[in-house]
Amino acid sequence: MKFLTLLKKELRELLSLTTILTLIGSVVLLIAIGGVMDSAVEEAASSEGEIVICNKDDGAFSDAVIESLKTAGYEVKEVELTDGDYAPQLSDLEVESVVIIPETFSSSITDVLAGKLGEDGKIAPVDVEYVSKMTSLSAMSNVDAGSQMALSAIESAVKSVVYANKNMSLAEIELIEAPVNLIETTVVGEKQAEASSMLLSSYSMMTGMIVPIVIFVLIVYSSQMIMNAVSTEKIDKTLETLLTAPVSRLSVLMAKMVAATVVSALFAVAFMVGFNNMMGGMTDMVSGEIDSAVISELGLNMTTGAYVLLGLQMFMSLLITLAVSLILGALAKDAKSSQTLMMPIMGMAMVPYMLSMFVSINDMGPAKWIMYAIPYTHTFIAQENVIFGNMPLYFGGLIYQAILLVICMTIAVRLFMSDKLFTITFNFGEKKNKYAKKKSLFSK
Amino acid sequence: MAKVLEVKELSKQYKKGVYAANKVSFDIEEGEIFALIGPNGAGKTTTIRMISTLLQATEGDAVVAGHSILTDPKGVRECITYLPDEAGAYKTMTGKQYLEFMAGIFANDKNTAKQYVQNATEMCGLGDRLSDKIGSYSRGMIRKLLLSRAVMSRPKLAILDEPTSGLDIINALEIRRMIKELAAKYGMSFLLSSHNMLEIEFVSDRVGIIAKGRLLELGRPNELKIKHNVGNLEEVFERVVKDNEISDLA
Repeated sequence: MKFLTLLKKELRELLSLTTILTLIGSVVLLIAIGGVMDSAVEEAASSEGEIVICNKDDGAFSDAVIESLKTAGYEVKEVELTDGDYAPQLSDLEVESVVIIPETFSSSITDVLAGKLGEDGKIAPVDVEYVSKMTSLSAMSNVDAGSQMALSAIESAVKSVVYANKNMSLAEIELIEAPVNLIETTVVGEKQAEASSMLLSSYSMMTGMIVPIVIFVLIVYSSQMIMNAVSTEKIDKTLETLLTAPVSRLSVLMAKMVAATVVSALFAVAFMVGFNNMMGGMTDMVSGEIDSAVISELGLNMTTGAYVLLGLQMFMSLLITLAVSLILGALAKDAKSSQTLMMPIMGMAMVPYMLSMFVSINDMGPAKWIMYAIPYTHTFIAQENVIFGNMPLYFGGLIYQAILLVICMTIAVRLFMSDKLFTITFNFGEKKNKYAKKKSLFSK
Repeated sequence: MAKVLEVKELSKQYKKGVYAANKVSFDIEEGEIFALIGPNGAGKTTTIRMISTLLQATEGDAVVAGHSILTDPKGVRECITYLPDEAGAYKTMTGKQYLEFMAGIFANDKNTAKQYVQNATEMCGLGDRLSDKIGSYSRGMIRKLLLSRAVMSRPKLAILDEPTSGLDIINALEIRRMIKELAAKYGMSFLLSSHNMLEIEFVSDRVGIIAKGRLLELGRPNELKIKHNVGNLEEVFERVVKDNEISDLA
């Protein structure tokens, strides 16, 4: 009954109205960002069918090319550009890009067909100009797949004219157009499937972004939460009152751990939902190009079992964070020093988080052992290990984390059971002041 | 009268050779208000923390209502309540929620907990303000709330470290009256600590003068004044400390 009273108090402290509003606000914000990203993806997708062309050529070839584009299903918008100063004209026309067919287009094709050699003794290729506007540094804003596809379509149309003129059969033209039939097989762990590794890696990158973000946010948030809770209790001396009450010190400690775990788990679920919504549009765009059966065949999708293994890793990291934060919070002299004491945890989470986004930690050479020593690394690479079947590494990491957790919990329990809880404090701010004092005395 | 607390040569050594408390011995009887007086850093809080089971004694023992702090700290905690110096309370809770929470920790059943809350509510005199968040309370209000919490279970021994520290005269007087009333009415014993010797002269039955970790003098305020032929406890303290320094030098 007393443990429940303590637990209820801890939960009430951690789940204050401000915390609940912050949680709801964060999820709403993430979903709203997801909505904006979805519409950007839709806009980019809708531009795929539209081509803006400025046809400066009077010849028959350009008309034929435009006609073939229309026949291929493109919505062709023809515009006029008066000179080479494109910026104001693109703004006036309200378009992001233009394919310019130059005046010499038809005559160039005629020259190619006639085999006319240029000054360098070679047949000159046909010029086509492409002007596009860069409006932002963000990836989504500069997506203009439509015009890029138009350029390939024009290239194919020109090739067809040239081949037809060379009296080649349709079969020959098709062969020359695609002389190599690429059969791409991608191997994932011990499984394999016919699929493009580039597309699969784009898909994995998109889906793999969510979990590390959630892990990072969770580590930082839970650490801050319990550190503040413990240091505030110590500074306000409410901890002294609790520890002289007829309850065991272990109950006080465990109530804090359990409450922080429950609240952190709640945050993990909320952030998972929020980030999934945020990234949903982007992931759909990439996964739309891949057969979902192939993803399942290769085991690149997260099955229930994979989620359980990932959740177990996240839970282990969370418990280590809480145990370490409990120790640091208990040793903090004031709120400022508790913030400073959080830096090592931030660093330990930041390094594997950043590295896992850009490189495969498992392929880092001897440096990987330093990374493996950081307990959070195993959680950041857990998804990769599960998907690629590196189960010895996954379980090795889990065992290592379990050992660290036992060590941290033992230290936390011993600290709470001993005098050190009241006799040892870390105060970086005070040290600085002492140093400043010494320095100022010295300068006199 | 029965002894509620027996402190036997209690010592605390933080560093080798440096004693925060050095062979401190005294007793407190049932219904008695005993005060440890001395300047800041004299060893009052260390002694109190050892008796409250927060710190482990290096040497000696203290027995609270038959429970030793060394062998039965849990039993000790069943008999005491402790109010630390300049303690705060959970600012996000209302006064009532705080009392209910603490009652839940001290009581073994719901009815007893209810009784404790009622005791504290009557004692603190905060009325409707108990429904407000503690964050909005003045220092005096927090101290009254904490003191009423410390005595709500009518413990055998209430340990109050600097009970009126930082309070204005009106609030300090109220708290002193509360302590005297509780001792007289319920037979509760109190162990107080203070560096305000005039306050202690008013409230306590017996005092112990402590300096540099050693208990130098023990007795009733009036007896000590007569013994040292001075007018108040501050002068007693001055005389005792000086005499002690002279004997140390000798």
